[in-house]
Amino acid sequence: MSGLSLVAELEGLVEACAARLDRALALEELEAARVEFLGRKGQLAAVMSRLPGLDPDARREAGKAANAVKERLTALYDARLADLNRAAMDVALAGFDPTVPGYAPAAGSLHPVTLVTAEICKALEELGFSIVTGPEIETDYYNFEALNMPPEHPARDMQDTLYISDSIVLRTHTSPLQIRTMLASKPPVAVIAPGKVYRRDSDLTHTPMFHQIEGLLVDEGVSMADLRGTLTAFVRRIFGPKTNVRFRPSFFPFTEPSAEVDISCVLCGGKGSTASGPCRVCKGTGFVEILGCGMVDPNVFDAVGYDTERYTGFAFGMGVERVTMLKYGIGDLRMFFENDIRFLSQF
Amino acid sequence: MLLSLSWLRELTPYQGTAQELADRLTMLGLEIEDIFNPFEAIMGVVVGRVLTRQAHPDSDHLSLCTVDVGGESPLPIVCGAANVAAGQLVPVATVGVSLPGGLTIKKSKIRGQVSEGMICSESELGLAEEKSPGIMVLPETCQVGTPLPEALSLDTCVLDVSITPNRADCLSVLGIARETAMAFDLPLTLPEVAYAESGPEAAKELAIDIEDPQQCPVYRAKIISGVAVAPSPDRIRWRLTAIGQRPISNIVDATNYVLFELGQPLHAFDRAKLAGNVIKVRNAAEGEAIVTLDGQERKLTARDLLICDAEKPVALAGVMGGANSEMADGSSDVVLECAVFRPGTIRKTARRLALPSEASYRFERGVDQVGSVYALNRAVALMLETAGGTARPGVAMAEPKPFTPRGIGFRPARATMLLGEDMPEDFCRKVLSGLGCQLSETDPSGVIAVTPPSHRLDLEREADLIEEVGRVYGLDRIAPRLPRVSKALDDVPAESEFGFWSRVRTFAVGLGLREAVNYSFVGHADLDILCLDAACRVSVANPLSEDQNVMRPMLAPGLLATVRHNLSHGNANLRLFEVARVFAADAMSETSAREAGRLGIALHGLRHPDGWPWPKDELAGYGDIKGIVEALIAHFKLPAGVYARDDSLPWLAPQVVVTVGGKRLGVIGQVTPEVADAYHARHALWLAELDLDALRALADGVKRGFKALPSFPPVRRDVTLAAAAGVAVGDVLTAIAEAKAAIFEDVLLIDAFTPEGTDERRLTFRLTYRHPEKTLKDKEVDKVHEALVAAVLAKLPVTRP
Ligand SMILES: [Zn+2]
Repeated sequence: MSGLSLVAELEGLVEACAARLDRALALEELEAARVEFLGRKGQLAAVMSRLPGLDPDARREAGKAANAVKERLTALYDARLADLNRAAMDVALAGFDPTVPGYAPAAGSLHPVTLVTAEICKALEELGFSIVTGPEIETDYYNFEALNMPPEHPARDMQDTLYISDSIVLRTHTSPLQIRTMLASKPPVAVIAPGKVYRRDSDLTHTPMFHQIEGLLVDEGVSMADLRGTLTAFVRRIFGPKTNVRFRPSFFPFTEPSAEVDISCVLCGGKGSTASGPCRVCKGTGFVEILGCGMVDPNVFDAVGYDTERYTGFAFGMGVERVTMLKYGIGDLRMFFENDIRFLSQF
Repeated sequence: MLLSLSWLRELTPYQGTAQELADRLTMLGLEIEDIFNPFEAIMGVVVGRVLTRQAHPDSDHLSLCTVDVGGESPLPIVCGAANVAAGQLVPVATVGVSLPGGLTIKKSKIRGQVSEGMICSESELGLAEEKSPGIMVLPETCQVGTPLPEALSLDTCVLDVSITPNRADCLSVLGIARETAMAFDLPLTLPEVAYAESGPEAAKELAIDIEDPQQCPVYRAKIISGVAVAPSPDRIRWRLTAIGQRPISNIVDATNYVLFELGQPLHAFDRAKLAGNVIKVRNAAEGEAIVTLDGQERKLTARDLLICDAEKPVALAGVMGGANSEMADGSSDVVLECAVFRPGTIRKTARRLALPSEASYRFERGVDQVGSVYALNRAVALMLETAGGTARPGVAMAEPKPFTPRGIGFRPARATMLLGEDMPEDFCRKVLSGLGCQLSETDPSGVIAVTPPSHRLDLEREADLIEEVGRVYGLDRIAPRLPRVSKALDDVPAESEFGFWSRVRTFAVGLGLREAVNYSFVGHADLDILCLDAACRVSVANPLSEDQNVMRPMLAPGLLATVRHNLSHGNANLRLFEVARVFAADAMSETSAREAGRLGIALHGLRHPDGWPWPKDELAGYGDIKGIVEALIAHFKLPAGVYARDDSLPWLAPQVVVTVGGKRLGVIGQVTPEVADAYHARHALWLAELDLDALRALADGVKRGFKALPSFPPVRRDVTLAAAAGVAVGDVLTAIAEAKAAIFEDVLLIDAFTPEGTDERRLTFRLTYRHPEKTLKDKEVDKVHEALVAAVLAKLPVTRP
């Protein structure tokens, strides 16, 4: 037997193997093909087992050829294996559905009043105000008297009060915190006081409990211009940079001068009308009332022992529900306290 | 206050529109809430002339008329009034017009005769309260075809002005006219008052005796004799109607007219019913009574003020007249009171007796003592004009405390400083004198002595004057400026309660809970259901309703109400929380109550969100709510809580008290079926209520710090124990910890089940051992582990199965 015929036989294996691999469509068939050609008892091994019978030169020649063929067969097998694996992966991926729902944990949410309170407080904290809190059940003194509302003062009619006893009330505003803060510290004072307040009032636009945020700044040289600046900056943070404020003279017993603050309507942008007619939010006026403010009344400074000549200050207070309704377009005040999760989950 | 624009125009010649006026007044601090036409409903009614009238062929009380309403051809109208006659000018409601009573005129056939409109009576037009006997016949000055309100010069434009409590001076047409005149630089003219007087001097016939000048600084009375009580002339009746007042009689209407025009309340007594020749103003005796003219007997206190004749009280001063002295049909002599009373006194009486009136409203805010002279004369003139009679010369009066104008030091520089905008001295002077103030020369220190007019009782201090200057300048014109908020270097505030609550809220939201906000008050009945202690409750003295009459001592009642609301709206799966205060009575507190922060949690329904791939049909239970509490405690880096069974709240079972570091943190429990049922819960309803003040104190005590990561690997050993009924997992965990094995690091329960047919629980624990300085050998660990397990077996009724 000549080395040449053995080499030719080896070459023949390559073609046969390639054809066999091509026919293998599954991994099991591929494995069978591998065993048939490359296995210990396979065709390549069978040819190579005849190498020892050749003379040394021919054996070397044939041995080299055998190794080359083995490499080629292995390469053919690896390529086919990669093809089949890729095909299998394609089949597997074809069934992958990226749209199946995930294991989403239960969703929580903050009450809209909390969200807006936090937003307002953050805006004011960045301006330098600190947060203070105080009791919701208050003495008549802190809630009224020290705020320049002595007994029998008609201004007490402005707020219908819920009483615990003759001298104890559910605070009707967060303004008692002005007194508590100033009694506890010397100027400069820059605080905001968020919290629940109570009025004896219940109809479409009033609930007996609601939330307010009070602001107080006392220092030397504080003016109404500072108040306007603070509120303008704050309102633009909450309602957007194009929002304008309007100061209307008004009356609060604990500020002098006092003003009601309107902002340009969030729905119609101050135009007073929308495509569908007069604006329902501002009732065509272009403005909506949002808070009350003013320069701290000297009588209030007297009540806390501040020097009324040296110090001036401003105070403001706003209803959080009102701001929230405007900001989110909520039409019904009562929804805030029904806590329907279909309502809560929107925020 | 309702202000008629045409009435205003009688005092100042304002020619602009109502809207312009409203805008200007609003920016001056007199907010206009609304502008409306009180006669809107009859704007469609026109003046018509009855051309012909003949009897209806099929009725003996109906007439067939033809009426010219200015249209192409006269309208046929069937009229039922007896007084209709050809040639009359009459108000006609044409087809399509709706009358105040709700009747809409249609083309119709009345007993076979076509009728295309209705000839109206005064009452049908809402111009008279009592049913009119016949149709209204209009004066010849009316033009056919003109809308009736126009033809009658009715007050068709009314502004609803919201007057703040400080602006008592604006509770009248005069007051708003003053502001209007100032704002538009117009003159102000008061109606001229002139009348003849005759007979004896009023002061000779009536003495005025004021007990306490503080209560009544001035009391004036005019005597008019020979009046004829009758309805007022149309223009007065209709004007009062326009501003929502019910006309009564010429005498009473004159007092009301002046009240609304000038802001001075007056009262007319029937002189014949007054005993003696004296009016006494005195405080009531405790328990004294008077029947007011609404027929109610009023029990009085010594703080109420009475007007009395020689024998008896005849009026509750400033609040309401007495029934025993009121003007009635047939009365002929009037004592007309024009006084000023102490505001606080009137307010107290009106409030206590729940008798608010237009008069008391003005007295309690303060009336113009100087202006009252003119007001009295104006009322007398009106009465003489509308009711006839003769006025006695002079006034019966006492003025023990005349009005004393006060001077206020005003510094333009201070106005500039406070308003933050330059307020030049001449501008300040112009504004203040425009408001009726007297001004001195400026002294060398820049102070002007300002004397406000008698009608501006609210101007007491420099700040009040600065407000006036700012108001007239326009607060809205002040240029905004951001303040420099200065703070002391050592002003480092601790985290506020609000800040801590925010952290708790954020945490709860992260765990998939939705925040509820409930009213702080609930009903005593809610607390009774929950058997909450009655002694500690803080009741609301004047609640709006029975379900809001007590401050909640726990968040639970509010959360339960939220659960009920949601379940009744089909929201079955609930994971809720609330952060708020609770209240308990506390005699030691200055507010008589103790307030504490709480976190409340409520779970009901499915454990997991609805839908694939989450497991279905698993309901939230103890493990879920406890897991939230455990996570909260871990979140604040506190030591693990101790959970012990409890039964102090009879509506929670099981009920577990949570303690951390020896401090009671709160309670977890399942609402018992009977109570849960009352709140519509169909599944287990679990609540937790945690003390946020305690949590905050604990959290504040935690020092966070770093520990080096372990250098050597852990070794883990599992052990399964069969625990007899009654042995709690916590008991085993405690026993393991208390074995104090040197290399013991941690233990974790990894499995728990109860094999069928036994009541022994199989509990598998995974223990972690680690040496800080070397790698442990299996043998070493085995030895320690076995000793530890043996210690547990020795201590508890547990076995190794
Ligand atoms: Zn708008």
